[in-house]
Amino acid sequence: MSANSWLATGNFHTDYKQEQKIFFTSLDRTVFTFFLLILFSWPMLFSLSNKGMLLVDNILIAIVAVMGLNLVTGFAGLISIGHAAFVGIGAYTIASFSQVIGDSHFVITHCWPVLIIISGLVGAVFGAIVGLPALRLKHLYLAIATLSFQMIFEWTIQFMTFFNQGQTIFVGRVYWFTGKVLRKEHYLFWYYVIMVVVILLGFAVKNLLKTRYGRALVAVRDNDRAADAMGMNPGLTKVYAFALSGFFAGVAGALHAYLYRGVGFESFTLHESISYLAMAIVGGLGVLNGSFWGPVAIKYLELQVEHLAEIAGNFLPSSMNLATALKPLTFGLVIVLFLMFEPRGIANWWRIAKSYTKLWPFRY
Amino acid sequence: MKIKNMLFLNLLLVLAVMFAFTPPVSAAGKVYKIGMSLAITGPTSDAGNPYSKGVEDYFKFVNETKMLGDDKIDCMIRDDQYKTDITKRNFEDFLDQGIVLYLNYSTGSTLGLKRDFEEEQIPVLPASYHAGNLDNSNYIFLPVASYSEQLVALSEYVVNHHKGDKPKVAMFIHPSAFGRGPVADAKKAVAKGLNMDIVEVVEHGKDLDNSAMLKRLLSKGVQYVLCHTVQSPVATMLKDSARLGLTAKTYGEPGKLTFLGVHYTGGNDLIALAGKACEGYVWSCSFNLTSEKNEGTTKQLALAKRYHRDSKAANSHNYAAGIMVAQVTTEVIKRAKAKGLKITKKTLYDELNAMHGANAYQPYTTIGPVTYSKTDHAGVDMLQIYTVKNGVFRKVGNPIQSFYMKKIK
Repeated sequence: MSANSWLATGNFHTDYKQEQKIFFTSLDRTVFTFFLLILFSWPMLFSLSNKGMLLVDNILIAIVAVMGLNLVTGFAGLISIGHAAFVGIGAYTIASFSQVIGDSHFVITHCWPVLIIISGLVGAVFGAIVGLPALRLKHLYLAIATLSFQMIFEWTIQFMTFFNQGQTIFVGRVYWFTGKVLRKEHYLFWYYVIMVVVILLGFAVKNLLKTRYGRALVAVRDNDRAADAMGMNPGLTKVYAFALSGFFAGVAGALHAYLYRGVGFESFTLHESISYLAMAIVGGLGVLNGSFWGPVAIKYLELQVEHLAEIAGNFLPSSMNLATALKPLTFGLVIVLFLMFEPRGIANWWRIAKSYTKLWPFRY
Repeated sequence: MKIKNMLFLNLLLVLAVMFAFTPPVSAAGKVYKIGMSLAITGPTSDAGNPYSKGVEDYFKFVNETKMLGDDKIDCMIRDDQYKTDITKRNFEDFLDQGIVLYLNYSTGSTLGLKRDFEEEQIPVLPASYHAGNLDNSNYIFLPVASYSEQLVALSEYVVNHHKGDKPKVAMFIHPSAFGRGPVADAKKAVAKGLNMDIVEVVEHGKDLDNSAMLKRLLSKGVQYVLCHTVQSPVATMLKDSARLGLTAKTYGEPGKLTFLGVHYTGGNDLIALAGKACEGYVWSCSFNLTSEKNEGTTKQLALAKRYHRDSKAANSHNYAAGIMVAQVTTEVIKRAKAKGLKITKKTLYDELNAMHGANAYQPYTTIGPVTYSKTDHAGVDMLQIYTVKNGVFRKVGNPIQSFYMKKIK
């Protein structure tokens, strides 16, 4: 007798194909569909201010970037401290188009989906190049190599007149089937675009991890010599992990450029790289949903600390500038606490909650 | 008796209802919303913090003293940590709340949001005096002369006060567009005939020691170092120069280095950082300094005292700069009100553009009047030269104005 398709209890995989399914039960699928419906319909039901929408869009872009970082650091076990530079590569790809053909050129305003993909590909190429040292380097040494890429990126942008020496390069307003996307609907429009990107890339990662390429990433992370012995190419796998990560970051950068209608150097500094790393750690490394929890948690924390620092800035003595120290202090503290008490990140809390409900109605 | 009681109760009820539905006196006035985003924390917050206090205190003063009658100014001040992304978010928030004028801070964010200002047609007074803010822009109004104008004016000062042949000058600048922009203008002035040699342009890093650089400059015959950056790198350089005995004892002493700098290089923070090493440092600024007592500085100190500000904030030229933009904002609202106009972004923009000639405005914080027109969006054109004497900045001569800047504009 077949078990109830709505419950996990009593359902067992009988072949590998079944194990590769994205949704194990009808309940999983229904809940996910319902969740997507909510994500797409809530802006129509509750109007959010432009500021609020910008915040939400920002979180979604960070999710795209952190999904990329999670691929290279979480799944492949390669530390990258230059992720913001890869995001910057994507943004500056759009900016380069803007500089060469003009910020309101048809290509920029109408062919933006193609440009976003191109930015991702450029990010992938740079990712692969930066990943080359991974053929020889490991652990801290590889981290330093990625850090040096961050430095090279910052220096190049700040000194090249083509990139306006880091000052904002404008990107024109885009067009949709309904015409030019004006300020009133700008942030809502990009909410939907970024949401579609997040869903597509989320499914891509989920599927990737069920293929041999995805399993190769995990195998190389766990023991690259063993992976080599099993017939995998650890070097190539590492380079390809960096390329994949670069693609995600490039797409995130392009979205950032279009959302802010401009590209400025300060959005892609080392500090941002550390923030992405913090999001990945707090969310949960090596788990897809960790890439969602991390940005939400860190961006929310950032906002609260901003408010706190602003209030503190008015009361604390300015000579000591203690308010400025609040943010890095809070960030550092949160990362340390997570590493100490919950190294598997928020995703682990989600796993515990899920496994509890999975056994329902039986407790054991 | 019962009827009397009922009447009395009814009367009380009517009075209560009347009282409940009568708006309070203060609510009769209008509230004009202004937004300000600046670095209260993070990089450059040493300047942003007193600046925000200046704005906050002056608007409080305007409201408390009923300078606009029953009308009030509601200035929302938000910290942006010197990040353009956060500034953009703050600006969107302000727009959602219906601001009529916007006060911005950094060069990066002013340049970055320029398009938004144009689209929204909102007048903006930034704390950045970068000349590039005015390129392809109609709505940005610089409070004082641009950094370019200040650097060119300082260069002219060097040329005019140099004894001997062509003075050899080095530029010590911030490694960003903020630092580089004015250098290009100084070079243009030299090309137009300003009689000086720019021997080297040094973009400083986060150096902890400038000995090698200073000796190199001296070996190249440099006599004057013009700085356009923030205080801390200047302080490091001045201390190194003093330690090596390279600082000129008197202005333009041959074989030694005389240091000069633009707006954000000086002030009390420089004295606090460099100590005795900054004796003789020459600085250009468009604001009155509390070390030179006058009516304006007395009012500034009184305002700071009224709102219990510490002496560091009260004596900061950045506090004065904050008061100044609040004064200009209040003045344009006052003028528009006097004409019976509705206070909107457009009326304030028009009032700012009309602020010239007989309509020029003299705030108590600046050394000259604020003048704007359709073609000139730089407020105070005059610059005061100050120099450090016995640990405080002292005036040198009368206010000056750049001659070559008009030639290269």
